[in-house]
Amino acid sequence: MLSSFFFLAETTGDVADAGKAIALALGIGLGSLGAGIGIGNIFGSMIQAVARQPELRAELTGIQWLGFALTEAVVFYGLIGGLLAFVLI
Amino acid sequence: MTRLLTLAGALFVALPSLALASTTEGATDEEFDPAHEWELQSWVDLPLGLDINKAVAYVILGTAITCLLGIVLMRVKFGRDPTKRQAVGEMIYEVAQVQVAEQGLPTKAIGRWFPYVATLMIFIWVINMLGFIPLPLSDETVEIGGVDLPTLGIFAATSTLSVTLALALMTWIFTHVEGIRANGAGGYFKSWIPEVPKAMLPLIIPLEILGQFMRLISLSVRLYANMLAGHMLILTFIGLIFLTHWAVFPFSVLMGTTFYLFEVVIVVSIQAYIFAALSAIYIGSAIEPEH
Repeated sequence: MLSSFFFLAETTGDVADAGKAIALALGIGLGSLGAGIGIGNIFGSMIQAVARQPELRAELTGIQWLGFALTEAVVFYGLIGGLLAFVLI
Repeated sequence: MTRLLTLAGALFVALPSLALASTTEGATDEEFDPAHEWELQSWVDLPLGLDINKAVAYVILGTAITCLLGIVLMRVKFGRDPTKRQAVGEMIYEVAQVQVAEQGLPTKAIGRWFPYVATLMIFIWVINMLGFIPLPLSDETVEIGGVDLPTLGIFAATSTLSVTLALALMTWIFTHVEGIRANGAGGYFKSWIPEVPKAMLPLIIPLEILGQFMRLISLSVRLYANMLAGHMLILTFIGLIFLTHWAVFPFSVLMGTTFYLFEVVIVVSIQAYIFAALSAIYIGSAIEPEH
């Protein structure tokens, strides 16, 4: 009984769709991983910079948000690529 | 104040869901799919494929509001003590001037290109913001008192690729036109090529040309995907109610509201700012190439 549950479970439904869904989720997940590290880096560096030189805060804020948006967009490239593959293939 | 805002946000999220519920309870037996929101149906058929659909209506509305915003906030009588209207107008102007234009454009080009980047910023902000206000512009109708009224829905015109691609294409064309005008065709295209050993050139030149086209893609897809993903998240969390069980209602409204507030407070403004700032940087770097 147990072995059949683990090894011989019958596949029902559309296997190709399931595979595509897993691939899409994996792609977006891994993309978010990288962007998460990147965004953490940006805000971490910002905190350090402001802690050392608080008078530069206004100047740095613009650069910080630019970097944030550029990094964050990377996830969405993954998302769009994944969605395209999901729909087209 | 914060509580009021949260309540308003929750209501904003809950309203479209109620509208959705009223349509799904009807005769339509279709499955709930958030992607249906992006299937645009033509409202007014025009030749050459210039049909008016939901996204076009949103763009037209956004344009009108942008013009109105400019007139109301900027055409203010200068007085001894500034009114609130003038203060808001000056704040927007200062962001456009200091944060966007002066970041990217060289001093001599600010006069010519400041209007463009400032308009881009305000226009994209307005369209993004309209995307999070439930408006009776949608393909579905609900019958109230015998009259078919369009349901309230949230939809941003910038969450369709055509709109963002058109905006990005404008910036892209202006970049090259301005680059050629400032440096001459030969000088401008030569400025694309970095100084590297001669043997590397066959590898570098195609990459640089590809890079120019990648700008177009990255500029348009960044805005498009941000808005698409934001709406998709909210819709999916609200849609959980219909997909699973009504008992998830508190959870899905809470999550939907959280993402709604995140989008409205951060993403809308950041994306407008980033699009305008990158446009300024691209145009600026074409006028004065670094060498």
